[in-house]
Amino acid sequence: MLWAFWLAFTSYDMVRSPRFVGLENFVSLSRDPIFTQALANTLVYIAGSTAVILAVALALALAINTRTRGARYCLSGIFLSNIMPIIAVCLVWRFLFHPHGLVNQLLSPFGFGRIDWLTSESLAMPAIIGVTVWRFAPYFMVIFLAALVNIPGEFYEAAAIDGASGLRRFRYITLPLLYPVMFFVVVVSALLCARIFLMPYIITGGGPGGATRVLSMLIYETGFSYMKMGRAAAISVVLFAIAMVFTLLQMRLFMRGEED
Amino acid sequence: MPSRRRRGLEGAWLGLLPLAGLTMLFLLPVIWMVTTSFQAGEKMFQLTTEWIPSVWHPENYPNALSRAKFPLYFFNSFVVSGLVMAGNLIFCTLAGYGLAKYRFPGDRFLLLVILSTLMLPLEVTLVPTFLIVHKFDWLNTYQGIAGPLLIDAFGVFLMRQFMLKIPSDYLEAARIDGAGELRILTRIIIPQCKPALAVLAIFAFRDSWDQFLWPLAIVSRDELRTYPLGLVRFGEDYGNPPTEQMAIAVLATIPVFLLFVILQRGLRSGFGLSGLKG
Amino acid sequence: MSTTMSPETTLTQQSLTRRRALQRFGALGLGAAALAGVPTRARAQAKAPVKLTFWTWENPQQRPYIVNRINMFMQKNPHVQVDVQVFTFGDLGKKVSVGFATGTAPDGYATGDWLMPTWLARNLIAPQEAKLLGYPSVDAFRKDHADAFVQGSIHDGKIYGFPLWFYGFANYLNTKQYREVGLDPEKDQPQTWAQLGEIAKRLTIKQGNKFTRQGFKFAMHAAQWTMIQFNPIVAQCGGQWFDTSGKCTINNEAGVKAMTIRASFVRQYGAEDPADTIATNPLPQMDWLKERCAIFSCHPIPPAAIKSQNPTMEAEHYYKAVLMPGVTTDKRYSSCYGFNLVVSARASKDKQEALQDMYRFILADPVDCWEATAPFTMARKSGWTDSPKVKTFPDVQAIIAAKDTGVFLPRTPVWTELADAMHRATQKVVLNNADIKGALDEAAAEVDRATAEFKKG
Repeated sequence: MLWAFWLAFTSYDMVRSPRFVGLENFVSLSRDPIFTQALANTLVYIAGSTAVILAVALALALAINTRTRGARYCLSGIFLSNIMPIIAVCLVWRFLFHPHGLVNQLLSPFGFGRIDWLTSESLAMPAIIGVTVWRFAPYFMVIFLAALVNIPGEFYEAAAIDGASGLRRFRYITLPLLYPVMFFVVVVSALLCARIFLMPYIITGGGPGGATRVLSMLIYETGFSYMKMGRAAAISVVLFAIAMVFTLLQMRLFMRGEED
Repeated sequence: MPSRRRRGLEGAWLGLLPLAGLTMLFLLPVIWMVTTSFQAGEKMFQLTTEWIPSVWHPENYPNALSRAKFPLYFFNSFVVSGLVMAGNLIFCTLAGYGLAKYRFPGDRFLLLVILSTLMLPLEVTLVPTFLIVHKFDWLNTYQGIAGPLLIDAFGVFLMRQFMLKIPSDYLEAARIDGAGELRILTRIIIPQCKPALAVLAIFAFRDSWDQFLWPLAIVSRDELRTYPLGLVRFGEDYGNPPTEQMAIAVLATIPVFLLFVILQRGLRSGFGLSGLKG
Repeated sequence: MSTTMSPETTLTQQSLTRRRALQRFGALGLGAAALAGVPTRARAQAKAPVKLTFWTWENPQQRPYIVNRINMFMQKNPHVQVDVQVFTFGDLGKKVSVGFATGTAPDGYATGDWLMPTWLARNLIAPQEAKLLGYPSVDAFRKDHADAFVQGSIHDGKIYGFPLWFYGFANYLNTKQYREVGLDPEKDQPQTWAQLGEIAKRLTIKQGNKFTRQGFKFAMHAAQWTMIQFNPIVAQCGGQWFDTSGKCTINNEAGVKAMTIRASFVRQYGAEDPADTIATNPLPQMDWLKERCAIFSCHPIPPAAIKSQNPTMEAEHYYKAVLMPGVTTDKRYSSCYGFNLVVSARASKDKQEALQDMYRFILADPVDCWEATAPFTMARKSGWTDSPKVKTFPDVQAIIAAKDTGVFLPRTPVWTELADAMHRATQKVVLNNADIKGALDEAAAEVDRATAEFKKG
């Protein structure tokens, strides 16, 4: 890892020895529209995925926590998407998002015409976010479930006695108690999304026109296709900085938890 | 109170329908994968999906397996993932224990460092890791593929968090009784950590089973390839329909799924879900 | 795929220990019996043993041929032991690069010739000797190979790559679909892009917003193919990838014209649906093979490949290969590209010599090569084009003409960046209706940046 940091200040094409160039890599990156695009893509992706994962995971957890018979099996069923090999996930979804694939087939009764998910600059990223949510939401659903299950029943009983409706109970009891977990989910989900590589790589190849190329893909391309390891290292420093923000947040979370 | 019980029973089954619907929605892609793996190649791009194939093609499976040395690839993946799972169980437990129970100057800092190494994607550390593995002469070996994955910061963190919950008084009492550290670890800590170990096991196995980029970099001999390498390079031959690709995908899903089923109970308590009703 | 030693090799190895000798007792017996028949041979070839590593790419016709020839070479040269590894087409270049970076590169490998500048710029490949390759001089070597090709292989008067296959793109027509709409595959060959557009429009069948059949398609799945298919249009329009100062000029008038032609099948003629494709890296011609498009330009397609996806098409032979269309009827050229066998500059002298010997042997029987891998044509001119096996191959004239009149891909050390930039620009234009000049301007700027970076070193 330290080697990677040092490399960021050099120019290294993997064959000749690295050549020290100071901040040149960073300067040229800041002027490179491809880098800015990848940076923007990554941030959009992290924000979008995290937000949707949060909502979906919470919704799923609430749905399963309703003392329904058989919920346990639904839990396992939903969790399968998190267990499935990521390669299989990518390959399957690439077919599902084909103009005549399953997604469009399911949407067409609702009046949607043909949607070119993976070839449209505006829709490709939402498609990738969709796959991400499908893959990761179950994991966070379980985290939420654990928190929900451990809320003492007395709170609800007391509220029921006071005559509070379901919605008010949710708003004033459940939600506030879940804030720490939600924070955890946001942080961990953001960290996972920052590192994502295989999904955009296999499903869209970073396209169309670079619309789904995220920083980790750019790092891979710059280093291994264009043989510019120094520049790739510089990009990874940027990615690391982004991830660091979330890591520090997570650390604070846990440290505070420990001091309680 | 009769009214509550009645409401409870009705509620128990009523809620199942939408929940089952939701589950089905989530499972659609998986079902599609399985269905497609039995389809004829031509059916792949029709306008409507044929959920139950009119003609079953189970020969997709042996055909797919024979396209490349897939049985060997799967075996390799098993060995590597087994190694990684075992390694994680051992090392993460040890590291987590050290970080949880021993206070030493800079332990918070060390935790930060460990976590931050997690945060870099593999592509960045690919070349230096490769060079290190090369120095050990572990290129094209099982230990080379498994090596960098043997310990994972998430796992260390997980074990640490779990172990923090174990009251130190137990340990103090044991030490006073004269038990050695190793015995404390094996007799007291580990049995209490079974749920966390279950979680660790399945995620370590799954992450190693998923690995694509690292084996791609480190393996240049066909005998050592893992199944993702075979799957992605599938169809370099003329004439491998995507249905066969799906067959391999299904086969790849089975081991992880089985592991999940086996460890399910441990997983549920590991996540803290033992109180879940239903 | 690795190859193992034959019993004869075991015998001539100097480093046999007694234990290994005992273990190989059975092999020894066999080997002795075999050797008894050729005593002179064994003695004459008792040279120092050489171990080679050789990497090549996967292709269902080409790879088995190379590997078979290497096995034959090892039998004839028992002191040489070759370890062959096969990689996917896309991966090979990267694996070799990483190999060079880490000291694990193979001694010899096959490379696409568009990557030659990349290897040469970094001094990674060694010059090869004409004599070892079977030619009296470099000049004789040059004369015996297609011009466009050998320019990339000879550098500074020295040979750096030994050519294997070299071919151009031909336009493949589905003659059954042609006749369906009342066209004649002989007379109604598309000679210009405008003609192709009109013909493609007639061949297109739509159902609402779904194309049941596209008239003509360009490949959309990989940067390599975008370049190969776009390159000749650029040349036909009089455009250039770089000017003499090294600046990228794809965004000039000629470039815009070329891209307009490229996009015309979607925008003007409505004959192409670029988002709807089942083409993949291994099978770019999949849409055509499955009769989802009537015309597709492609490298030579072996009959076995057609048969595996569409046996009826192959059995009834309702396809035809013709020259690519041109901007005018006299400029019907396509791109051509090929594969070289190269030697790592880091291999020892005796390994380099053994490799060149092997390379010469691989292509020592061109007619045999043609039989095994037709219709992939070879860069070499002599020794095969007159054979009746070649002459009677369907459409072979068009295929050979495509090779001979083809224009080469741009030779630049920033090839990968150029291809990626063009691929992105094409996606923007064709899939998202972007402004052509704007997209090309962006691509040119990208390439200029990459060139500047490369010059800095």
